[in-house]
Amino acid sequence: MKSENPSNAECIRRFGSYRIIEHSVLIVLFLSLAITGLSQKFFYVGISQSVILILGGIDNVRFFHHAAGVLFTALILQHILVAFAGVVLLRWQPSMLITFKDATDAMHNFRYYIGLVSSPAMCGRYTYKEKFIYWLSLLGGIQMVVTGIILWFPVAATKYFPGQFIPASKAVHSNEAMMIILLIVIWHIYNSIFSPEVFPFDKSIFTGYIKRGRMGKEHPAELSAFDAREEINKAAALVNRMKKKDD
Amino acid sequence: MRYFGRVITWCLILLCIILFARPSESSMNERANIKDGESDEEKKYCLNCHRKTGSIKKFPDGSSVSIYVDASLFDKSVHRTLKCTSCHKEFSDKRHPNRGFRNRLQYEIKESHICLDCHSKETIKAVPIHESLFKKEAAGKAVICTNCHKAHEVGHVKAGSIATSEEKYCLTCHAKNDRMFFKNKQSKSIHVNSMEIRNSSHKNIGCSDCHVGYSAEEHQRRIFRSEREYRLSSSAICRRCHFDKYSKVSESIHHSMLSIGKQNAPTCVDCHGGHAVSSLGNDRLSVVQKCQACHGNIYDVYARSVHGSALFNENNRDVPTCIDCHSSHSIKDPFSPDFHDYIPEMCSSCHSNQAVVGKYGLSTDVVKTYLSDFHGVTLSLYRKDAQRRYRPIRPIAVCTDCHGTHDIAGVMGADKNVVKKNLLKRCQSCHNNASENFPDAWLSHYKPNIKTATMVFIVEQFYKIMLPLMVAGVLFQVILDIWRYFLNR
Repeated sequence: MKSENPSNAECIRRFGSYRIIEHSVLIVLFLSLAITGLSQKFFYVGISQSVILILGGIDNVRFFHHAAGVLFTALILQHILVAFAGVVLLRWQPSMLITFKDATDAMHNFRYYIGLVSSPAMCGRYTYKEKFIYWLSLLGGIQMVVTGIILWFPVAATKYFPGQFIPASKAVHSNEAMMIILLIVIWHIYNSIFSPEVFPFDKSIFTGYIKRGRMGKEHPAELSAFDAREEINKAAALVNRMKKKDD
Repeated sequence: MRYFGRVITWCLILLCIILFARPSESSMNERANIKDGESDEEKKYCLNCHRKTGSIKKFPDGSSVSIYVDASLFDKSVHRTLKCTSCHKEFSDKRHPNRGFRNRLQYEIKESHICLDCHSKETIKAVPIHESLFKKEAAGKAVICTNCHKAHEVGHVKAGSIATSEEKYCLTCHAKNDRMFFKNKQSKSIHVNSMEIRNSSHKNIGCSDCHVGYSAEEHQRRIFRSEREYRLSSSAICRRCHFDKYSKVSESIHHSMLSIGKQNAPTCVDCHGGHAVSSLGNDRLSVVQKCQACHGNIYDVYARSVHGSALFNENNRDVPTCIDCHSSHSIKDPFSPDFHDYIPEMCSSCHSNQAVVGKYGLSTDVVKTYLSDFHGVTLSLYRKDAQRRYRPIRPIAVCTDCHGTHDIAGVMGADKNVVKKNLLKRCQSCHNNASENFPDAWLSHYKPNIKTATMVFIVEQFYKIMLPLMVAGVLFQVILDIWRYFLNR
């Protein structure tokens, strides 16, 4: 994975190995859920039926969907827990939280796109675009988990909820899935593959490194903060060394 | 000059063709006329004597034969184009030999040989009905063609004319109330009601067509252990003509019951009757009553159902009878998975047909809504996967699992609470711990609307707006991004 040279000053470490693994697992689970889910939603289409037959029948497809769903639930739960613990205990920056700046960045960029301003917004660690797809996937994912559990255990669910929750959950589950899949396919795939800025492929989520030039374009605020941190670290190192000499 | 020479040559060739062609055409007509004329002439000549009614030829033994020929009947016969001398070769206007026959039979035998001049033995044998005649001939008995086909008014033997004569022969014994005995001391009347046959589908069929080996010439003696065994053997008779039906029956549950020795399983005559045989096709009530003979309990349940009561009380022609669901001949085991999985199709043949159920205010969406829901999707995918013969532990619910089989009741105008209670019981037969809320998970074949399924309707409407909006939004953003990139370049 590490095709970029970490020592190269042109590259900046953007993602740790934990996020790289998390994203890779998410890709596998997303694809499994999408394939097994879409073939159930569009069961009447020839290709869905071929997929179902290849996977060994509808009962097997449902088993794989449930299994991937369980792992996806675990992934979401650990993600929330880690994020919560990180922010509260380890004093991580809650950089994914939507702020007022995101709204102004979006407005600014819109004006930039139509030519009213000359430069794009000065985005931080995560742009408003990344936050949009992140929150859509996270909240949509939670919605999918909840409705998925209801659909998996309809008898248990109707002990606590009205019966209509089942078809309503089915409507939510299948429509929400459709929305997430379409947005991921159009938006995320565009931004990380087809966008002229990154084409043919944005490798940063797999290598963990991003080129300084791109960082400056896409996350200028983050870059200046990074540089400032680097300066502080250097200064601190200098002070330490001087202290050692004095001793 | 050379040119004129060529033209004259071609003109002469053309003239020759015309001259030779025309006479040949006319000569053909003339020949035909002569032939027809000859035939007419000859007929007239012969009829001078043979048209006299009542004229007979006497034989030395005192028997006689009529020599009268009805010209009008001959003209309608299949031999109408033949001349008199085509068959009666020894005779002509000049020759009328006096042949010395001892009796009428000898005369008829001799005349029957005339037929063989044109109709070879092979072609005659090819007609199944002639088979017994050749056996008779082989046994040294005379076969007279004209007995069946007539002489001058010769034609195809009309179905029935032979049958009737055969029937008369058979009925000399079978009109009596004698009995035949079986090994187990049971007995059965041999009486045949000729009216039954005449009113049956087989009215044009002779006795020996079904009872092969039984005719004026032969009457095998067969021994059966019981009356039931005798009846069962009769299905072999039907097979000779109704092979398609027989092969369907051979795949049925009734046949497989018979093949394991359950002699009470029905065979052809049990449903269609023997001499009073009928197709049963249009008589819906009698179809149901035939099945009642063995399936009395089911008949009672069916009679009380929405289908049965409409049949019995209104003689409704839209409701299904037994054979509409179970088929008439290839009746499958109703407990087999194949039959179970086929039920939605069975019900849909009426319930998806606007022409059938529309007039009763029933929705034609019932099968579509079933097939698009969990059970229907699963079933259709199981069926697609039929090659692997994979079977889940419990079969997937089809129409009858919720609505009942023979006891199907209408839900229109019924108390909703009662329907729900009944439905809960049906649900619980598969979903053990289903609570009272559970049946509401099924939207009762209705497409979700604001009244029947508010929550589902709202969700669907929300996504109907939200989904295209989101997709359009991100597409717009993508287009803006690309546009700006190229502008900046």
